[in-house]
Amino acid sequence: MTGPESDLSTPLYTFQHALLSTHVVGFIIFGVALGAFMVYNKKVRAGILNSSWRKWITAIPTNLRAFIASSGLIQKAILAVVALVVALFIADFTGPYVAHKMAWNQVIGQLLHTRTYGYIAIIFWSLNTVRVRAQSRNSNAKAPSFFDATWVKILGGVLAGLFFAACADPWLPVRFSLSYFKWSGSSDDDFFHHWTTYLWTFCGLLVGVRAALQDRMQRRAVVQSRWKANHIKVSANTRFALYAGALFIAVESPKFIDAYWQETIFQQIGIFCLLAIGLNVVIGFAGLLDLGYVAFYALGAYTNAYFSGALPIHPPFTINTFFVIPIAILVAMLAGVILGLPTLRLSGDYLAIVTLGFGEIIYVLASNLTNVTDGAGGTGTAGSFSMNLPGIHFALSGFAIQDDLNFYYLLLAFIIPILFFFNSLNHSKVGRSWAAIREDETAARSLGINALKYKVMAFAIGASTSGVAGVLSSAKLGAIFPSDFALQVSITVVVLVIFGGMGSILGVLLGSAFIGWFLQYLTFHSFVGYNPADKSMWLGAILILTMIFRPQGMIPSKRRMREFKDAEANLGTADSLGSTTGGVT
Amino acid sequence: MASFVALGIFTGLIYSLVAIGYTLVYGVLRLINFAHSEVLMSGAFGGYYFLHYTMKSTDVSTIVRVLILIGAVVASGAIGAIVAVAIERFAYRPLRRRNAPKLTYLISAIGASLFLQNFAAKVFGHNPSATPQPITSNFSWNVFGTSISAFDMVLLLVTAVLFLAINTLVTKTKVGRSIRAVAQDAETASLMGVNVNSTIAATFAVGGFMGGVAGLFIAMSTTVDYNIGFTPALLAFTAAVLGGIGNIRGAMAGGVLLGIIMYVPIYWIHQPFYEPVIGFTILVLILMVRPTGLFGESLGRSA
Repeated sequence: MTGPESDLSTPLYTFQHALLSTHVVGFIIFGVALGAFMVYNKKVRAGILNSSWRKWITAIPTNLRAFIASSGLIQKAILAVVALVVALFIADFTGPYVAHKMAWNQVIGQLLHTRTYGYIAIIFWSLNTVRVRAQSRNSNAKAPSFFDATWVKILGGVLAGLFFAACADPWLPVRFSLSYFKWSGSSDDDFFHHWTTYLWTFCGLLVGVRAALQDRMQRRAVVQSRWKANHIKVSANTRFALYAGALFIAVESPKFIDAYWQETIFQQIGIFCLLAIGLNVVIGFAGLLDLGYVAFYALGAYTNAYFSGALPIHPPFTINTFFVIPIAILVAMLAGVILGLPTLRLSGDYLAIVTLGFGEIIYVLASNLTNVTDGAGGTGTAGSFSMNLPGIHFALSGFAIQDDLNFYYLLLAFIIPILFFFNSLNHSKVGRSWAAIREDETAARSLGINALKYKVMAFAIGASTSGVAGVLSSAKLGAIFPSDFALQVSITVVVLVIFGGMGSILGVLLGSAFIGWFLQYLTFHSFVGYNPADKSMWLGAILILTMIFRPQGMIPSKRRMREFKDAEANLGTADSLGSTTGGVT
Repeated sequence: MASFVALGIFTGLIYSLVAIGYTLVYGVLRLINFAHSEVLMSGAFGGYYFLHYTMKSTDVSTIVRVLILIGAVVASGAIGAIVAVAIERFAYRPLRRRNAPKLTYLISAIGASLFLQNFAAKVFGHNPSATPQPITSNFSWNVFGTSISAFDMVLLLVTAVLFLAINTLVTKTKVGRSIRAVAQDAETASLMGVNVNSTIAATFAVGGFMGGVAGLFIAMSTTVDYNIGFTPALLAFTAAVLGGIGNIRGAMAGGVLLGIIMYVPIYWIHQPFYEPVIGFTILVLILMVRPTGLFGESLGRSA
């Protein structure tokens, strides 16, 4: 563990405590300092801050850049030492030991803590970006260096991933030791026995490949920039730092939360996020309405139960839950296409009611087909995730807190790639077609866009995400009950997407987190005029009020917000549902 | 077999009543009123409480029973109409005033449905309650080897009256003419002096009355529950699509037809829970083969 030295099975730290007392603060301080420096630098370049009495300040970054760019070995060494000392001080200040701050042995002692290496890496990374910027401004024709080689970039990415895995490994003790890297038996202290290691290495590989492909991407950026005209302009480095920070918080913070919130976050909010991201493709990107989203979730869950032999009907062979996921995706997509193809040729509100019916049918069948699904009493124990390969031992076994954490990282391993996939999908040809169909279907068709194809595609992609969520949650919960797939769940997911802001991935995630927390709160508290049994009533009220006062959601996507404004001014539509009449008052 | 056909016809009549509500609103607003199931539910509760307070003793004369029944029909219809107009007023009109996109209407309607359903659960409790029966006659009428009870005959009578009434209302009266005008072209209708907002409210009220009465009959045949409206409303929507959504006579025929198609297979498979499954499959099949329904979509033109 890289945070406070407490046992994972007894997390002593509350959420605030953890956020304020550990190295998380260090990274935040560092991020703020870096951001301030970047903003300052930008303003100086834009000529805003270049007044004469500040010239000595403006000289600092220029000199620093020139200093670094001059590439003397001694200067680099000096810089390395300075960076190291800075990192050690940040580590000391934000470390878990309250007493003896600034004592030299404490500062040096920080070298024993894994998180210190995280700070060092980030400082060097940011210095490196400054150096690259300085170079690219100084010379237009850049000589290809060793670091431009494709294999160096990819290998570097992999090594960086391994390094990050070591810094952020939730199961390693806080004190750094070379023995982590030894290939021992199935010890908890063995770095190579933790599946997060492989996850981060894979992420590192992805970053490396992306860096290697950057030249091509920059060429394409000319075309893409038109579509980003209304976005806040963030430089690639800042965006990368933001993503890294968010990822860091997502990875680190749950370790310090108490058991109650761990369960809430992992079981409820995590699944909500996955469901909401999927439904966002249908509602937010394609502008359709799916009211039976939970049916695909049920399909995924029952697929998992079937292939692990938990249902009365037995499969020809049982397979590992990891391999059920592609099957569940296929099943959910197939169901989506079968429902979507006949329905989406018509006005879009047919889809809403057909999916509503489909959700109800799945619920009725699950409750009543006792010889297939075990009926309302629930199935046997559905397959859980376990993996036992050389070097990777991963298992979700029981109800231990360690298990919750394992499940959380598993969810993260699905959510993050899906997020990136959906985001790039939304900025690809497919996403632009969705936008075109949303805004004006007739015009889109006349430009040769096959509207039916893209609508069915969005519907099936959304359904597949729900299927994955079904497999994951059935693996975590064990037995499956038809009551988990009631209409209420579908509508709750609609609330998540609508409240957060349809079409905005960030909004949808924050919406799920907020509504997830709020529902948890409403389920277990009662206050004046409120009774937990009325939870759904207030959810309904939230839907109506959101539609009346802020249809674009709390954190809207810029484009969706504009579409709503335009639609209200009779310019195009903001959905793929056709138009209503009676806009006259 | 014949008894299943009869069951289908009489259940189908209830669906027809509900389907008229869907069809009217769709014709006027080009919008599926997702909150219509709650109109049904409130009509059921209205009828339940009317019967609960009037049927204090079981020993009442036939004349009084008939009066109570008429009162219950009017009361539940009125409650349905009020709730439907309230839904229009609070969930739709603020959006219409802003000329909002259709997606927001659907979501707002779902919100209204969820709110009303759980509000009913809060006020009337979560447990189903048995409705007092005003029709206690054991009289039954034998047709083609199947017996038709007094309840079924009352249902047939009431729906026949309501069908005639709505047909006359839409084709002959001034309100009906304005409903058809708005359904054809709202903007032009408003230029011709039709008050679009009150016409839409009237449409919801008429559809709500039908839905409320349907709710009463569902309540009398089973128990009253806060989510009583969901499945019948879904099936009624299927009936509306079967008959051609936007077409009132189509909705009437579609309901009965759907009832027959749905109950006849039950005769062979003996599993009553398959009823919504069959209905839903029919919905998807119609949408695949003939999305305009058997009789075509036309509120503005024919009806």
